[in-house]
Amino acid sequence: MSLAVRIIPCLDVRGGRVVKGINFKDIVDAGDPSEAAKRYDAEGADEICMLDIDASFEERSTTIETVKSIASQVFIPFTVGGGIKSLEDIEMLLKSGADKVSINTSAILNPDLIEEASKEYGAQCIVLAIDAKQDGKIWNVYTHGGKNRTDLDAIEWAKKGQDLGAGEILMTSMDKDGTKSGFDNNLYLELSNNLSIPVIASGGAGELSHLVDAVKLGKADALLAASIFHYEEISIKKVKQALRAEGFGVRL
Amino acid sequence: MRLGVIDYGASNIHSVARALQSLGSKVSIVDTPDKFKSIDKLVFPGQGSMGSCVKKLNEMEMINPLLEAIKSKPFLGICLGLQILFNSSEESKEKGLGVIYGGITKIKDINNENLKIPHMGWNKVKIEKKHELFSGIKNKQFFYFVHSFVATETESTVTTTSYGEEFVSSLATENIFATQFHPEKSGEIGLKFLENFINWKI
Repeated sequence: MSLAVRIIPCLDVRGGRVVKGINFKDIVDAGDPSEAAKRYDAEGADEICMLDIDASFEERSTTIETVKSIASQVFIPFTVGGGIKSLEDIEMLLKSGADKVSINTSAILNPDLIEEASKEYGAQCIVLAIDAKQDGKIWNVYTHGGKNRTDLDAIEWAKKGQDLGAGEILMTSMDKDGTKSGFDNNLYLELSNNLSIPVIASGGAGELSHLVDAVKLGKADALLAASIFHYEEISIKKVKQALRAEGFGVRL
Repeated sequence: MRLGVIDYGASNIHSVARALQSLGSKVSIVDTPDKFKSIDKLVFPGQGSMGSCVKKLNEMEMINPLLEAIKSKPFLGICLGLQILFNSSEESKEKGLGVIYGGITKIKDINNENLKIPHMGWNKVKIEKKHELFSGIKNKQFFYFVHSFVATETESTVTTTSYGEEFVSSLATENIFATQFHPEKSGEIGLKFLENFINWKI
C-alpha cells in the first residue's frame, strides 16, 4: 500500500492577496488567500501551499497575518514559503500555523540553514524549493524568484538538499511555469530516480492529462498547481478521478 | 469543560489547539506542572524525537504530573504522543513513559518497495476494533501521517495502517486513546475524530 498522490493547490501571495504571473512575470490579482484556501480544502486538496512571491522585499507582518488566517480555518497540512532567511523566520511561521516551510534562495546562499532547520524542527517540515531552467542536457538553478541564474545543477542541488536534511523537494520548471503546456516530466523522472525523499512537481499544468503524466511519466509524489485550480479550469476532484482511473491511490 | 494541550517546547501544538478551538472547545496550554490540575481532558501532540521529548519533560518536571493525569483523565496522544506511552523506542536511549507495554521500532520495508521514509502523507486507516472515537467515521478513510517509527504490536490496537509493514495507527485502553496519524491535519474526518474526543465520556 503506497501513499495517496497529493494534490497541492498553491496560493502565490503578494501583500496579502493571491496573484498569478506567467513565466514569473506579468502579475495579476486573483483574490483573498484564506477564502481560496477554504475553498480548496472543501474541494479535497491534500495540502495547501502559500508562496509569498516577493517577501524578500516586503514587510513580514502581512505574511504572518495571512498565515494565521489560513491556519485557523484550514485543517490540512500547510506549507509557507517566500523570503525565509533564518531559523527565527521559520519559527515565526511555524508558530503562526505553518506545518512546513519552503526555502529557496536562502538555502543556496546559506546551505547550513537547511541543515540547522532540519535538526531543530525535523526534516518533515523543511521543503527545499528549487526553480530550474533547462540548458542543454542539464537544468540550472535560479534564485530570487527566477531572476538570477546560478551555476548549480538542479539534480545535484536537490541531492545535496536531501543530504542536508530537507524532507521534500518542490521543483518548479521555469520553462513550463504558467505556460499550461504540461509538466517537465524528464526533470521529475530524473529527480525521482536520484532521490529518496518525495518530489513535488510544479509548473506547466494546463490539462488533466498533464497532471496524470507528471505522476505516470515523471514519478512525482505530489502535484502543485496554482492557476488551473484558482480559475476553476480543472477541479481537484477531476484530477483525483483521473489519477484513480490510471491506478494511482488518491484521497477521494 | 477545559482541554489541556501539553507544550514541551518542540511540538507544533498550535495546529492542535486551533483545530480544537474551531470545534468550540476551551483550550489551555499546559507547560508547567501546576497547570494539570485545572484541566478536564488532556491532549499530548508530539513531534521530533522521543529522547529529546522525555528530556525536555524531565527538565520541566512534567513527567510525574503527566503520569498522574494519564491515570485519571481522558487522554489523547498524537504521533510522538502515542510513541512516548510505550516502554522504549529504537529512536533513543531514553525510556518512554511505560504506560503501554512494548517498544517502538523503525518502519520496516518488508517487501522491499523502496519506501520513502518518513512515512509522510495520506494513508488509509483500517478499523480493527469498534471505538467511540471512530463513531461516524467509515472504515479505511485517509488520515495524515508524518513519522519514521511505529508500534507494531500491542493488545490495545484500535486501527492499523500499512506502510512497509502493518502498524498500529491508533490504540486505546480505558481513558487513553492515542493516534499515530495527525487528526488536526486530516481535514473533515480528522475534525470529526477530535469532536468525538471532546464528547468522549468515560
